[in-house]
Amino acid sequence: MTSPPAPPRVRSRHATASSPRDPAAAGESPAARRRRNWVTIILFLLPAIVLFGLLVLAPIALAMYSSFFKWNGFGLVPTNFIGFENFTRMLNDKIVIGDLWRGLSLIGFSLLIQLPLSLAIALLLNQKMRGRAVYRLIFFAPYVLSEVITAVLFTMILSPGRGLANELLGLIGISESTFLSEPDTVMYALFIVMTWKYFGFHMILYLAGRQSIPNELIEAAQIDGAGAWKTFRHVTLPLLGPTIRITIFLSVIYTVQLFDLVYVLTGGGPVHASETLGVTMYEFGFRRFQVGYASAISVVMFLLSLIFALGYQRFVMRRDTEGAITNMRAAR
Amino acid sequence: MSFSRRGVLSVAAAALFLAGCGSSGSETPQGGGGSGAAQEKVTIEWWHIQNIEPMKPVWDQLAKDYMAAHPNVTINITALENEAFKAKMTTVAQSGESPDIYQTWGGGVLKQQADAGIAKDITADVASWIDTITPAASAAYKLDGKVYGIPYDIGMVGFWYNKALFAKAGIEGTPATWGEFIDDVKKLKAAGITPLSLAGKAKWPGHYYWAYLAMRIGGLPALKEASVSKSFENPDFIAAGQKLKELSDLQPFQKGFLGAPYDTPEGQAATMGNAKAAMELMGQWAPNVQRDTSKDLGDDLGFFPFPSVEGGKGAGTDAFGGGGGFAVGGDAPPEAVDFLKFITSADSVRKTVGTGVILPVVKGVEDAVTDPRGKMVADSLAQATDFQLYLDQAYPPAVGAQVNDSVAELIAGTKSPEEVVKAITEVAQSE
Amino acid sequence: MSMHARDKPAVQVAKPIALHTVTIVIGAFVLIPILYGVLGGFKTNQQLSTNPIGLPDPWVPSNYTDVLASGSFWLQLWNSVFIAVATTVITVGVAALAAFVFARFAFRGRELVFTIFASGLMFPFAVAILPLFILLRFFGLLNNPLGVILPQAAFGLALTIIILRQFFRSIPGEIEEAAILDGCTPFGFFWRILLPMARPALATVSVLAMVSSWNNFMLPLVVFNDPGLWTLPVGVQQFQGQFSADTARILAYVVLAMVPALAFYSIAERQLIGGLTAGATKG
Repeated sequence: MTSPPAPPRVRSRHATASSPRDPAAAGESPAARRRRNWVTIILFLLPAIVLFGLLVLAPIALAMYSSFFKWNGFGLVPTNFIGFENFTRMLNDKIVIGDLWRGLSLIGFSLLIQLPLSLAIALLLNQKMRGRAVYRLIFFAPYVLSEVITAVLFTMILSPGRGLANELLGLIGISESTFLSEPDTVMYALFIVMTWKYFGFHMILYLAGRQSIPNELIEAAQIDGAGAWKTFRHVTLPLLGPTIRITIFLSVIYTVQLFDLVYVLTGGGPVHASETLGVTMYEFGFRRFQVGYASAISVVMFLLSLIFALGYQRFVMRRDTEGAITNMRAAR
Repeated sequence: MSFSRRGVLSVAAAALFLAGCGSSGSETPQGGGGSGAAQEKVTIEWWHIQNIEPMKPVWDQLAKDYMAAHPNVTINITALENEAFKAKMTTVAQSGESPDIYQTWGGGVLKQQADAGIAKDITADVASWIDTITPAASAAYKLDGKVYGIPYDIGMVGFWYNKALFAKAGIEGTPATWGEFIDDVKKLKAAGITPLSLAGKAKWPGHYYWAYLAMRIGGLPALKEASVSKSFENPDFIAAGQKLKELSDLQPFQKGFLGAPYDTPEGQAATMGNAKAAMELMGQWAPNVQRDTSKDLGDDLGFFPFPSVEGGKGAGTDAFGGGGGFAVGGDAPPEAVDFLKFITSADSVRKTVGTGVILPVVKGVEDAVTDPRGKMVADSLAQATDFQLYLDQAYPPAVGAQVNDSVAELIAGTKSPEEVVKAITEVAQSE
Repeated sequence: MSMHARDKPAVQVAKPIALHTVTIVIGAFVLIPILYGVLGGFKTNQQLSTNPIGLPDPWVPSNYTDVLASGSFWLQLWNSVFIAVATTVITVGVAALAAFVFARFAFRGRELVFTIFASGLMFPFAVAILPLFILLRFFGLLNNPLGVILPQAAFGLALTIIILRQFFRSIPGEIEEAAILDGCTPFGFFWRILLPMARPALATVSVLAMVSSWNNFMLPLVVFNDPGLWTLPVGVQQFQGQFSADTARILAYVVLAMVPALAFYSIAERQLIGGLTAGATKG
């Protein structure tokens, strides 16, 4: 649709300025120029296509292919074709089904607590106050730490004996707890660590979104007599819509892929109570040598991301595209 | 494993340079080396799991001694923690490149490594000296009549108990039957003492309970038979699960045991060492890990074999456990086997056994065991009528992992005894 | 009127105080875990169990100095830096060429190819890790820095291309026309004019590529078996296993491993945050 109208061959002999894009075609024929364009296009795209094709598309294709086989991962390609058996096995696998539920509950937590909290903090930091830049710097800092380092640190903090969390709770009279060791509490502990690490990231996005809203709009609402809540509800919130939709999108995709943090913090335990699809996939693929089944799990992860992304783009974010781009221009 | 680091970096740098120029970024230099280089110089990559005192320095010293005697050989040691090693080894197995010498427990896991070509058949290389090793110790590393590993330690799993806490609860002697054992657990509970310490996060310690109960109730042949027929749906194994459930229903384990690791300061060994629990079911290394993570209980620490089960088919003297051994990597130099011969020589074994945490695998060195705890295990082992290797090593990795996993769920109360055998059977049949 | 006059100063004082209180509480939530790590590293294990929250008494620097004196920490740091820089150079180099074509050339199928690249945003590492491992094994790239660098670069392409294309498009066509009239080849224009102009955008995408490489765990975990190749995240995780009984030393290691990331963040804050907001708003 966006390819240029190819100049008709007849005109090509005496074309001096065939299109605004080709101002310098003077000395040579457009055919030669087009050929050179193609050479340039191909040469410039080739590295990206090779890299992307070989290391992104091919692995995903290979995962899809091996998900139809029973395979222990040795050798280059699987041979024992079993159709959809890996997928039907998943339907009966309590752990995989549990992974999905846990993913959903993490998404629920994020949407109901983490994102509103980040938004509130962003609006707070949008106020004129001393040390705002320092606060922003601090709040965002956990985001730059790797998940592994975060997880190791919190393993210590949440450990029952000498951990920080128990000591602090002890100060307010709550007796020793084993956050990461109880199936009932482990998800809350995990969620708190996730919030520690990621609220700053969402906050930064909201701040950027808020700063692209002209202050005049909000002042106008206030002059019209709207209270703080009304201004927020009817002016700020709708104008932050695109940013909020993006953060929701990122939260969901992140949760589907969640691995590092959980793997190091809990290993998915106790007894699978904090396991995610990523951890289950790793367990089967790299520890139990059931690569076919593990591939099927990764295909499900991929399909979940893809379906969600396409559906979300199609139905939720569609109207934002224009806004997002102007936003970006404004940010520059 | 034995490639030069600098070589790789310069290859990488070259590829980087090319990519930076905008030419194809798909230059893929083959492999990372392996290139044998000069014949005399040999490097041996050695991965072991004795990452703590007192064994770590002994291995270091033995490697130094060997290098001194063989100047052309360089031994690179990587001492990994148990869990880290197991996690790492699975990717190593799939990568097809193994260390030249690495920790193994024998059994089905070693078999799969052999099938994948990362463990070498060393039958011929060791034929001249394998007879110096006690057959009981080397059995786990012989698969289909071929030798794939050499042991350095042998022992068994049993109950380590705190004599002071037993006395406090008014328990005299040690339980010989499961019924007595349950009574003692109740007495300990009544005295406000946590009866058992367990590492629920690590999972493998939990499987010891189920395995021992299955051995005592169904008999050792039943476990061997199950792995061949790939069916664990044996009423005796379900009964084993029921006994274990009966135990866990008493809530005998320490608070938060489901998430407890084995060898950290909050783990199973430390709970035992800090006298916060009266017993742990663990192998011969238990006292050493207690000392490393917490305190040495000294004379308060006792050992008794797993009790027999009334009416069970298995003898109360059948032992469960294993030791440790070293496998030789698929493309290891001959010097690797020679080094194993060196560390299995009587002189070397005296040094390892001298630490008090290793039991001898070589004939004629029994007198070197001077540590009282080592003696307790050695004596029990000497009376053993039959021997079963850890189930999570004896069976193929997927089956072993499922045993650990299902038993953990049984103890946590999320799986029934019937579901345990069903899950294990399903995995065994899918292998 | 008079009521108002009396009220106002009170509100003006109360509001900032409330504001600061809330932000300080949040700041404490963020900082206390890090502080616990820093202080914990200065304690002995004995102190840690008897006095987990107080100041170290006495201060024990040996945990930190031991880690700093060990070769493995520096080796892992170097590996992380090398891999991050190499990944960044490849990602940005390859993506810039592609983005240039996507931004300034019109050709049949352009949008389709672009969409395929852009959809790479949705392909998580975790999904591809198994087959990637098998492919890398096939290419002999296991235990080789390239086995981490190239896949990271490939997975970084999507975001980088999207951001760079956006920027390249915003450069007026007249500049290109003038350059070509001056006899510049497309590559000459790209190399000598476009790239220098795109410096801020390049800085942004470089920082993003750097950070994601720096934090990557799963890929180096499975690709590198040789401890000599481990990056910091893998090193930290292995160190935790290795010295599982030595909490204070693990804390020291964790804190030291944080330092480079935090230092980098304080220098490149603007590019990082700019890049994230730009990346996210385009999503």
